[in-house]
Amino acid sequence: MNWRALIRHETFLALLLVLVLVVLSFQSDRFFTVANLLNQGRLMTEIGLIAIAMTFVIATGGIDLSVGSILGLVAILLGVFWQNVGMPLPMAMAAAIAAGTFAGFLNGFIITRFRVPPLIATLATLALYRGLAEGISQARSVRGYPDWFYVLGQGEVLGVPTQLWILFAAAVIASVILAYTRWGRTVYAIGSNEVASRFSGLPVETTKLALYTASGFAASLAAVIFVSRVSTTRSDMGTGIELDAITAVVLGGTSIFGGRGTIIGTIIGLCLIQALKNGLSLAGVKGDGTIMLIGAVLILAILVSNIFERSGSR
Amino acid sequence: MTAAVDLPPIRPRNGARRQGFLRRLFADYGQECVVLGAIVLLFVVVTFINPRFVNTNNLITIFSGNAYIAVAAIGMAMVIMTGNIDVSVGALIGVLATIAGTLAVSGYPIWFALTAPILVGMAVNTVIGVLVAYGRIPSIVVTLGALSILRGGLIGVTGGTWITDLPPDFLIAQKRLFSIPVPLIFMIVLTVAAFLWMRYSAFGRSIYAIGGNPEAAVATGIPVERRLVSVFAIHGAFAGLAAILFATQLQVIQSTVPPNLELTIITATVIGGVSILGGTGTVIGSTLATILFATIGSALIFINVSAYWLRAVIGLLILATVLADMLRRRGRA
Amino acid sequence: MSQPKPFVSLTGMSKSFVGVKVLKDVSFDVRQGEVHALLGENGAGKSTLIKMLAGLYKPDSGAIVVDGDEVKFAATSDATAAGIATVYQELLLFPELTVAENVFLGHYPRTRLGLIDWPTVRERTRDLLDQLDTHDLDVDAKVLSLSVAQRQRVEIAKALSRNARILIMDEPTASLVESDVQRLMQVVRQLRARGVGIVYVSHRMSEIFALADRVTVLRDGAHVATCDIGEVNEQKLVSMMVGRPIDSLFPKAEAEIGDTVLEVKNLNHGRHVQDISFSLRRGEILGIAGLVGSGRTELALTLFGMTPATSGEILLEGDAVRIASPRQARDLGIAYVPEDRGLQGLVKSMAIRKNVSMATIERLSSGIFIRGRAEADRALAAVRRFGIRCRNIGQPVGELSGGNQQKVVIAKWLETEPRVLILDEPTRGVDVGAKAEIHTIMGELVKRGVAIIMISSELPEVLGMSDRILVMSGGRVTAEIDRADATPERVGAAMTAHRNAEAA
Repeated sequence: MNWRALIRHETFLALLLVLVLVVLSFQSDRFFTVANLLNQGRLMTEIGLIAIAMTFVIATGGIDLSVGSILGLVAILLGVFWQNVGMPLPMAMAAAIAAGTFAGFLNGFIITRFRVPPLIATLATLALYRGLAEGISQARSVRGYPDWFYVLGQGEVLGVPTQLWILFAAAVIASVILAYTRWGRTVYAIGSNEVASRFSGLPVETTKLALYTASGFAASLAAVIFVSRVSTTRSDMGTGIELDAITAVVLGGTSIFGGRGTIIGTIIGLCLIQALKNGLSLAGVKGDGTIMLIGAVLILAILVSNIFERSGSR
Repeated sequence: MTAAVDLPPIRPRNGARRQGFLRRLFADYGQECVVLGAIVLLFVVVTFINPRFVNTNNLITIFSGNAYIAVAAIGMAMVIMTGNIDVSVGALIGVLATIAGTLAVSGYPIWFALTAPILVGMAVNTVIGVLVAYGRIPSIVVTLGALSILRGGLIGVTGGTWITDLPPDFLIAQKRLFSIPVPLIFMIVLTVAAFLWMRYSAFGRSIYAIGGNPEAAVATGIPVERRLVSVFAIHGAFAGLAAILFATQLQVIQSTVPPNLELTIITATVIGGVSILGGTGTVIGSTLATILFATIGSALIFINVSAYWLRAVIGLLILATVLADMLRRRGRA
Repeated sequence: MSQPKPFVSLTGMSKSFVGVKVLKDVSFDVRQGEVHALLGENGAGKSTLIKMLAGLYKPDSGAIVVDGDEVKFAATSDATAAGIATVYQELLLFPELTVAENVFLGHYPRTRLGLIDWPTVRERTRDLLDQLDTHDLDVDAKVLSLSVAQRQRVEIAKALSRNARILIMDEPTASLVESDVQRLMQVVRQLRARGVGIVYVSHRMSEIFALADRVTVLRDGAHVATCDIGEVNEQKLVSMMVGRPIDSLFPKAEAEIGDTVLEVKNLNHGRHVQDISFSLRRGEILGIAGLVGSGRTELALTLFGMTPATSGEILLEGDAVRIASPRQARDLGIAYVPEDRGLQGLVKSMAIRKNVSMATIERLSSGIFIRGRAEADRALAAVRRFGIRCRNIGQPVGELSGGNQQKVVIAKWLETEPRVLILDEPTRGVDVGAKAEIHTIMGELVKRGVAIIMISSELPEVLGMSDRILVMSGGRVTAEIDRADATPERVGAAMTAHRNAEAA
């Protein structure tokens, strides 16, 4: 019953995506063009990277609300390391990403070592990391990065935006890990029944620690790409991105209670959101109308799949 | 939501063993005591460093400027006590504030402009409650969706412009009653009323029951679904009251609320001792936690810490409280 | 004694779950002012019967007559209204609410204004508790601060507050210490004297003979007999429960007993594992008997690394080992089939295939990649070997029957090729057929040299299957008895030995 329900949700979502694409391309000539679609891919990379890691976290029954703050913190650290500390830029990038990854590790440590519910733990670090970003930046922004740095966020490789390659690679690797490896299996097992997983000798704590660390890493990577795309560093970067990422993940069929979810679902969810945003704005709907529609789609999608599932399992 | 404040319990007959008053107070309201202690400590230390801190004007600014958060946290506390959560309340407050302001400048009577947000808040959250209770969608998912809808709606309606030229009678948060600022009165009266209502009314007790042991609640004959919808509706009413305070404290209503307002409200609730797993806590705790946050914010300014570090310090404090709470609970278990 | 009319009578009650008949045409009645004991092995249908009486399950067929009128219970509230209350094993209380609130939640006395009359709530709770001789319980204390025995009395007070005329008690003494058991029995007698009819479900013969007026025995979902307590003795009740001679039910395989595999010296963990020493040899089945709370499961959890030992020695084939996690235990060749199958043993939403491979997933992987074919092969082999009845290996385990679920858990652990297999209540909630199959599997395993520790609440199972029996009480080993010397009396005496010594 489980995998059939899953297929059903994702097929339903994919059909919805196709429908949306068709409708939107009728609405505006500029929508279904290669240039526009690639550009949209550029815009969804940061949320995408975070959402991929978030899929794993939510599949274990956890949540990470601090990713937006980690993004802001890493962005600030990147600027500070480069401009104020005087590190070479590649080294500053590495150091900032390392710091962000450590922030993720700290989340995992608090959750596994002190048994703080993930929602609470990451709510606390959400405030802490954003606060650190604000404190360190003192509201200054850093600009004027060397040209090569912008390749990451604004350049192209083989005609495709650079960061889209990164998102693509991340999605493929994550799909394979979740579907075909024992790590992925452990993730699902923890999300379905943490106690039984522990009783079966699965490395529950280690896995969780690794996932929150990975989530921190994904947010850090997203931060660097973000800075490169918008050419500047500010401390409020990434505010609210955690909710966007969670929306994509949940829309993609991952159960908020854990045990169920796929990367492909998350990616479809992500594309659906981005297509709606872009297509509707091209069709003349204001940005706010799109956000409303995304919220409605989220609730309806879960409601519909809930109803399907209930009729399927009884 | 009728005023169902009953008589306080009588003392037990002798023969029954009773713990000491202080021990019981600490056992039942441990987290509230911790937060209150932190506030007092903070006052003492900061006043020692900078005596101007305890200036009346300053205190009033601290408390009344944040009263709307405390009011919203009351409703949030009820929602969290049932084992649910609401991440859309920040956006809802923004929408309701805008509704109030728009009605006020469009020439509707003031009483109407001040009642509408409460009713709309209840209506919106009733829908959310129905989706959670009867649609069986996890509350975090529903409210995540509602967050998008409300946020979009807010920008859509206002177009990002500020509402100005508010009639002076509308600005009730700037007024004083018996020389006490109105927001302060709201905060105190609502907190005490909600506390008593949750402590002594059948409905209030059922909130704790549902959060503490949902299965047993069903077996005891509590209409769990209906109660959940009502709790969300009440939470909407508190959001409406919070929106009124927020909308009437300045001469203008901005089209945005502070970023992450919902998270601030949730954090205040949790730090105040409401367990995210449901079933425990009081609204006194959430109000005290709001005061604590406000006090820290103001204190940092008075001891010349840059405002930029404010959130970092608050974050660190939250983390410390959470860890201390976990260790305390583990020690008890 | 005259024959008063029964207050509640059930006739021809039947109930099936997913095609399995768990209750077949059972009749049962309770009079006011009597204690009617309900007896039967696990899975005999006792809990199904009382849940129907409590309005939790609806019968497929049969009639319930209360006080002369036929009734239908659509919900628990209907049964409550008819004067039937239940004290379940897992107590339905609200930890954050006070004693008084728990008692009156849902039917608070009101003042004329419609508000809760708190003084009355507290006063009446006080009265109810006083009637139960519980003067030491503060009505304002939160339930979370109470002991199990105190909570139970709160549950009873709750039942009395609703003017219950029939009180169902489901294994009320299962998790009580001896002094509390005595006190509870006193309460039951008082209630009877007040005219309350009590349905008393228990395994403990001593309590049944001390309390009951009548006894009804169920077996495999069917009614065996109802008789006055004076007409029966313990042997007769046991044979009615089991339904056949014990020997034929437990086919003990003769296995060659080899060298010592596991040796435990002065093991300690908390209150429940105190200074435990024993040894286990290849091909041996060591039964562990004891009441709930005697430390049986805690000992298993300590050996399995779930709650690592705080002191003492564990020697595995002569080598001292430290077991700090289930993972380490597994790698050392110790397997544990847990007591709570649904929570600890299985991931119910996952397929049989994935459950079977769960403890051996590293071995079934190349690098980090799971070898899907190898995994499926192992699962198929396990399904065939243990006769697991399922559609295919992709079926979620949650859809299987209790017995087949248990076989999946056992299969999962046998995949690790353990040297020591700990089985905690291996046949609880398992139908008779699957039970025999599980016992056969145990026989095959010891023949191949596996050493088995079997924890069981079922005395006949312990006596029938074990080569040696370790009896625990109060976290200590109170007796070690060889198969040849083991009698129900000796084991039973040792199960309460420590307590009696303490009480004396």
